[in-house]
Amino acid sequence: MIYVLLGLALGVALGIVTPGYIPKSYAPYFSVALMSGLDTVFGGLRAAMENRYENTVFLSGFFVNMLVAVFFCYAGTLLNIDFYLIVILVLGMRVFNNLAIIRRLYLEEKEKELERKEAEAGQDPNKL
Amino acid sequence: MVTVNRHYTKILIFVVCAIMGFMISMQLKSNRQAQTVSVQRAEDLSVRLQQVEADRNKLAAELEQYRTGKVSSTLKKEMDNLNAYAGLTALEGKGVVLTVDDSQQAVKPGENQNLYIIHDEDLLRVVNELRAAGAEAIAINDQRVTGRSEIRCVGPTVLVNETRLAAPFVIRAIGNPQTMESSLKLRGGVLDNFKFWGIKAEVAKSNKVQVPAASEHPSFEFAKVIPADRVQGTAAGSGKGGAAQ
Repeated sequence: MIYVLLGLALGVALGIVTPGYIPKSYAPYFSVALMSGLDTVFGGLRAAMENRYENTVFLSGFFVNMLVAVFFCYAGTLLNIDFYLIVILVLGMRVFNNLAIIRRLYLEEKEKELERKEAEAGQDPNKL
Repeated sequence: MVTVNRHYTKILIFVVCAIMGFMISMQLKSNRQAQTVSVQRAEDLSVRLQQVEADRNKLAAELEQYRTGKVSSTLKKEMDNLNAYAGLTALEGKGVVLTVDDSQQAVKPGENQNLYIIHDEDLLRVVNELRAAGAEAIAINDQRVTGRSEIRCVGPTVLVNETRLAAPFVIRAIGNPQTMESSLKLRGGVLDNFKFWGIKAEVAKSNKVQVPAASEHPSFEFAKVIPADRVQGTAAGSGKGGAAQ
């Protein structure tokens, strides 16, 4: 967890220090890339909670998804279709989906823990 | 909660999170900049307006100070000097007072009567002679003769500083009285010439000649000042002079 926070802090600091802004014409690409990155991160979190996290899957997903999303966006501008809206919509849905699953898994875990503790508490008098 | 044990994985997550953070902050920054670009411009402009207004007020106060004479004594002295050179102040000092009047002789038959009265040329010659003798200030009938004064014939009168003057003329000059008197009275000189036509001329030396100030402030309509560091030879000067007629 500390690595996540440190990384985020470093990234934000770098972003603030970096001079210049993203040109307005590149703003859709950048937002799509950001969205796909968020999606991958939440996907990785979910995978970790389901105990099937893989480094290679996470990393390749992170970069490939980003590139594909940007490419989609670019193709959309070539075809004069606002693809980036669709990409953002789909990615947003996935983020919510993943978040819902993460929440459910977390609550289940907590419930199990509680049950275990109750069981331990119930066992205690008998132990004596 | 989530526990990832391998060191390698931690670094990977760190890097990925750094990238995410960078992207998020860049996006936020760009977004904010895009939204507030016009507001920023307005703010910049209002700040600059305030600065310019402050500058203006400062300069106006400074100008007021100069006008009311609250300046250093050297500056004041310099200004007084320049005013005196420009003929904007009345002056007093040793000098001569020359009074000339039209001839009282009877015009001989067949002679041009114009020869018996004083013309602009006569006055010009007198002024020229006085200047040659080192006169520092000259006035004709209370009209100060400055660098821009004209002496010119208009019908029976003479125009000086756009004011009509008629005989008798009283010419006051400040300078060395002895030099001026002698140069006026030179044999074959100005006054000698007057005598021939019976034009009356009296030179009086005085220790206290008063010369009035020029009534009008000179102003430039065509001429522009060339900064001293830009003047090179006569090319720049003659070019400007030609433009100013």
